[in-house]
Amino acid sequence: MNLNYDLTTLWHNVLAQLSYTPGEPLMFSSGLFWVLAILFLPLYALLKRRRTQMMLFVVAFSLFFFYKSSGWYFLLLVTTALIDWWLARQIHGTESTRKRKMLLITSLVLSAGTLLAFKYTNFALSNLYALVGSNFQPLDIVLPIGISFYTFRTISYVVDVYKGKLTPTDSFLDYLFFLSFFPCLVAGPIVRATEFMPQLRENKPASREMVYGGLWMFLIGVLKKAVVADYIAQYVNIAYGNPTGYSGVELLMAILGYTMQIYCDFSGYSDMAIGLGSVMGFDLGVNFDLPYRSRSVTEFWRRWHMSLSFWLRDYIYIPLGGNRKGKFRQYCNLMATMLIGGLWHGAAWTFIFWGAGHGAALCLHKALLPGLKKIPDTAVIKFLAWLITFVVVSLLWVFFRADSFTTAWQVISGTVTRFDPAYFPVFASVRSTWCIMMALTFALHFVPKRVMEDLKNIFIDSFWIFKLIIFIAVVQLVIHFSAADVQPFIYAQF
Amino acid sequence: MNKPLLGLLAILTIALAVFAGLSVNTDGIDVGSTTIKTASFAEALFTPVQAATDKRVNTRKQPTGKATGKQQTATAPALAHPKGWRAPMDTTSKTILFIGDSMLEGLGPRLAAYAKHNGHTLVNVIWYSSTTEVWGRTTKLKEFINQHKPNYIFVCLGANELFVSDIKKKRQRYLDNMLSQIGNIPYVWIGPPNWKPDTGINDMLQESCADGSFFLSNGQHFDRAKDGAHPTRTSAAAWCDRVCKWVMTTGAHPIKLNVPKEAKARCRTIVLQPAK
Repeated sequence: MNLNYDLTTLWHNVLAQLSYTPGEPLMFSSGLFWVLAILFLPLYALLKRRRTQMMLFVVAFSLFFFYKSSGWYFLLLVTTALIDWWLARQIHGTESTRKRKMLLITSLVLSAGTLLAFKYTNFALSNLYALVGSNFQPLDIVLPIGISFYTFRTISYVVDVYKGKLTPTDSFLDYLFFLSFFPCLVAGPIVRATEFMPQLRENKPASREMVYGGLWMFLIGVLKKAVVADYIAQYVNIAYGNPTGYSGVELLMAILGYTMQIYCDFSGYSDMAIGLGSVMGFDLGVNFDLPYRSRSVTEFWRRWHMSLSFWLRDYIYIPLGGNRKGKFRQYCNLMATMLIGGLWHGAAWTFIFWGAGHGAALCLHKALLPGLKKIPDTAVIKFLAWLITFVVVSLLWVFFRADSFTTAWQVISGTVTRFDPAYFPVFASVRSTWCIMMALTFALHFVPKRVMEDLKNIFIDSFWIFKLIIFIAVVQLVIHFSAADVQPFIYAQF
Repeated sequence: MNKPLLGLLAILTIALAVFAGLSVNTDGIDVGSTTIKTASFAEALFTPVQAATDKRVNTRKQPTGKATGKQQTATAPALAHPKGWRAPMDTTSKTILFIGDSMLEGLGPRLAAYAKHNGHTLVNVIWYSSTTEVWGRTTKLKEFINQHKPNYIFVCLGANELFVSDIKKKRQRYLDNMLSQIGNIPYVWIGPPNWKPDTGINDMLQESCADGSFFLSNGQHFDRAKDGAHPTRTSAAAWCDRVCKWVMTTGAHPIKLNVPKEAKARCRTIVLQPAK
């Protein structure tokens, strides 16, 4: 393609790139973010010692980041921050238990109510209309990107202040910095104020380990998200788009593909966020700890999206009574927590079913645990435990991914009824890159953590030029795979 | 500024300079037999928003390839015609090239019956699993045009791209390449028979194809084969009937396509294997 290097076009396109475009959020793995990072980092470093100026600068950048993803809804974030900052201070300064409770409820109703209004209005209305047998035209409601994440963060802040675990900050800027911190804004991790605020107060400059360790994490995240997840997704989308058109083997690969895709997608984005935080001198913790190694669903939830699962535990499960009120009540609490967790992921019955499935699996595991503990922990038993967990988790992902129960059923039933192992070699030969990528990602799950830690340290200690080469190689991989497509219909060959 | 941050900044800046510089080669860099894809910085910064539309207008004005004199005469009225323009019915016999994906299995035999009944010559080229990218990356279409010298082209592509995300970014250039290979030859692009809402292929085709040259299949009723995607043979024949009727009554370049008595006919069919 011949390009016309016209400055007017350049200026017009730069403005267009910086404007809000619906459906095109600013992604960490995008070229635009890369350019913005080059502009952001030197200014951030220069202002780092002047705390207030640094915070003003980061807040402005974060709000721009949110504007680029959700338009003028960034004002909603500012409003939420202002209200909850004020309410938290009121809670802290009030002796009356009744008044404190009222203030807490006000905060929860406002925060959760806003989330419910944006995320679940259409879902609720469509179900209501279905009940009365009437047609429903969905309302034109735009869901601000990241609202689910920052709502959970602001709830945890106010609840922690209410419980006396946290002294509220006097500075609104501090709170806005915490709530709008752009690395965590769009997709978490759901960092809590109890962990974040002390770091903000300390305002330590990032060490060499933090900067290059952060870069390492970021590159791992880019590989997971922009190379593996996005590439695997292409076949998964095609298969889930038309499950009746595929053999059992192809559907099985789609199920496994989505299992890997969602991990690489979620954890990749988390890794990028954690890496960015590290570069800026903030420790955002660990969010995914090789979840497909788990040998029980309980363990899975200790390794999967940890900031979310621990949030659900601390702010829903335990306040509901946790395991303190008998077995039956514990099972009810588990189910309620996982149902809310399912609904939090998306406004659809398939998400609720996914949550319910995990809730049931957790209850079953808890109920069987005394008996399971008596079984000797041999290699075979370990393997069986892992296999059962993996199958349950993978099957439940089908409901998470499918656009309806019909599609989910077509995927699962098609896998069983049209299964013929003879399709495996054909599949592997036609989609060899896809299979290799899947196998590698899966195998990496079982590489000892120590090895990954060693690799990270080698990267940190390596020459600067080596880091540059690795960076360029990762970017080129992203470019290569972002344009590469997985072959769609291959049924004609079978 | 602390030293590690300075180092990181240098990495980001140098790498950006490298990729931005290379991105001037928008079609990639050829190294031996392989093409190394480049980033889209230059494209994003210097491609006018309306470039795709402009390019199509230019394509019409400047026919590419070695089009025959007959083709140029036949298509002359099509140059930069206003919206809603229709050529008068062309009742002469045509050489029709019909290219596309596996949907041609159903459409091809019925179109062959139309060709036989109306005195046209039809060549079907089925490229299984193909997409706009598969065709647009190659010059196959141009080769078939040079080989068979068609003066009317049917294309049926898009069924394998219903769920491609960010489709314009990924496929527009290949679609434009295909359209430039077609050049001034009158054509009809038959849109994919959606079984679920697509992610933009129909919009992209509608915007890119010349006025009166895109037949929207989305929203029509299809009885599906067992695979859930392809129409049954009967349904595909009915689909072809609708396309032919549309060409005669609505399309920009109407040709004689009266309904044949025979349900299907044979014609020269070239089959290409799926591209890896």
